[in-house]
Amino acid sequence: MTDDSGTLSIDFIAGFTIFLLAFIWVLSMVPGLLVNLQGYTIDYDAVAYRTGVILVEDPGWPASPPWESQQNFSVTRFGLAVSRDTPNILSQEKVDRFFSNTSVYGAFVYPDDYHQRVIFGDYPYRFNVSLLDVENNQLRSVGDVVPEGYGYIRRVVKIKGLSNATIDAPLYKNPDNNVTTHEFSILVNNSGLKEQKNPAYEIDPARDQIMVNITDLRLTISNQTQAPSVNITLTNINVYKLDGGILSLVRTFNTPYIDENSSTTQPPVEVKNNVSLKFSPAFFDILNAGSSPIFINLSFNLNNGGSSYYSQFLNNTWSSPFDYDYDTPEVTQPRLRDAMVEVAVW
Amino acid sequence: MVKNDNGQLYTIEGFAAGLIMVITAYLVVNATSVYTAGDTHINDMQLEALGSDALRMMDIPINATESDNRHSDLRTIIENSQFDTFRIKFLDYTNESGSGPGHDIQFNASYTCRDDSSNDVQSVQMVNSRNLTGGEHTVRSTKWVIVDIGCPPEASRERAVLVEVLLWRD
Repeated sequence: MTDDSGTLSIDFIAGFTIFLLAFIWVLSMVPGLLVNLQGYTIDYDAVAYRTGVILVEDPGWPASPPWESQQNFSVTRFGLAVSRDTPNILSQEKVDRFFSNTSVYGAFVYPDDYHQRVIFGDYPYRFNVSLLDVENNQLRSVGDVVPEGYGYIRRVVKIKGLSNATIDAPLYKNPDNNVTTHEFSILVNNSGLKEQKNPAYEIDPARDQIMVNITDLRLTISNQTQAPSVNITLTNINVYKLDGGILSLVRTFNTPYIDENSSTTQPPVEVKNNVSLKFSPAFFDILNAGSSPIFINLSFNLNNGGSSYYSQFLNNTWSSPFDYDYDTPEVTQPRLRDAMVEVAVW
Repeated sequence: MVKNDNGQLYTIEGFAAGLIMVITAYLVVNATSVYTAGDTHINDMQLEALGSDALRMMDIPINATESDNRHSDLRTIIENSQFDTFRIKFLDYTNESGSGPGHDIQFNASYTCRDDSSNDVQSVQMVNSRNLTGGEHTVRSTKWVIVDIGCPPEASRERAVLVEVLLWRD
């Protein structure tokens, strides 16, 4: 045959085979290349890191009054830090509101409420935020069960504990026996409390709950043989504000805990031995006290067999109010305790 | 014998084409291993944040009024050379695990101070959880701490020292 156009030469077959082999080998590498381009774990780590930073280094928004004292719809951004100057120091009130599913302002719902206020972004991330209170061995969390393969960050923090005062009533009884109604005054001197410049240790009634426990009331009665039969009545708890030298009644406090009751009782109420007062930040926030001193006056009546009973009792009208501050030994100061925040995002 | 060889391919050309593809693929593979800075250092950043958090928490007094607790743990540890306490507390912070995965973090801690008279910087080895062999991928966390110690040969006075911790995962 003389017309050999279109036939393949050995040269061509060898060259084409080499080309095909190389081509197939390169194609086989493509899936491996794409594996390296999968960025989901990196993305989730970054979202977890960002969420961790917002939670432990930011006090959230609105800042004043703080978000934890606001209705759900008013909260723009979560943040658990006491202030922007104290990263990694978390507020107990903010922590409680963040993890609580029962709140007077309404509970936040996973995932939508949390996604909009701390996770952010358009992608519908699932997540789990947990806080381990090391000292109390308490683990609190919000979110889903963590699956395999997720972005993660862990932040070591401290929680600012709440201050409280335990007042042993016999130490504050009046010297005069000829009295039937008694008043005990507690001073919250806002300007004095601001002398502590570090928010991590500051007693700030508008940010942190304060608690006053008054114990052993019956031991203040002069005649201890008659003491068991004396009726002690807490008649009212009035709150006064001293503004521009004028002392004015601003509100009453109606939710004291009496004796061992786990629920509050509105005065007037009969007391056996103990009274506990828990003042939420909202209580002081409403007063809008600023630097003005606040006086909390507890009034007691003593009766025996239907008639007034004259005795010594818890009464500091003859001396000075009980000062809820940094120097009074009965006041337990805010204390920092170890904790850890973990954020998992997937 | 073929007289007309127009349009024919030769072995050397196929070999050259294959080689070009392989080299291209090699370059692409290498190119994808160059991550952006943010991506590459996510793991390092997590470890560094953890170390910084631990040092920061160790340098915060737990109470502002009780005389025993006015100074931070870290200050007390350095002033009294209680380096074993540092090891225990630091590992407590870094290896504490709640609902997340377990951790096996190792560290090597030291601090540096400056002798004002000679302007020399002295380095003091504090403690480590395991010896560095050189093969570890470490990250560094630091914290300036105010302490009342000497920086030999200078006498004791209040000064800032730089605590430096190298961390790595086993």
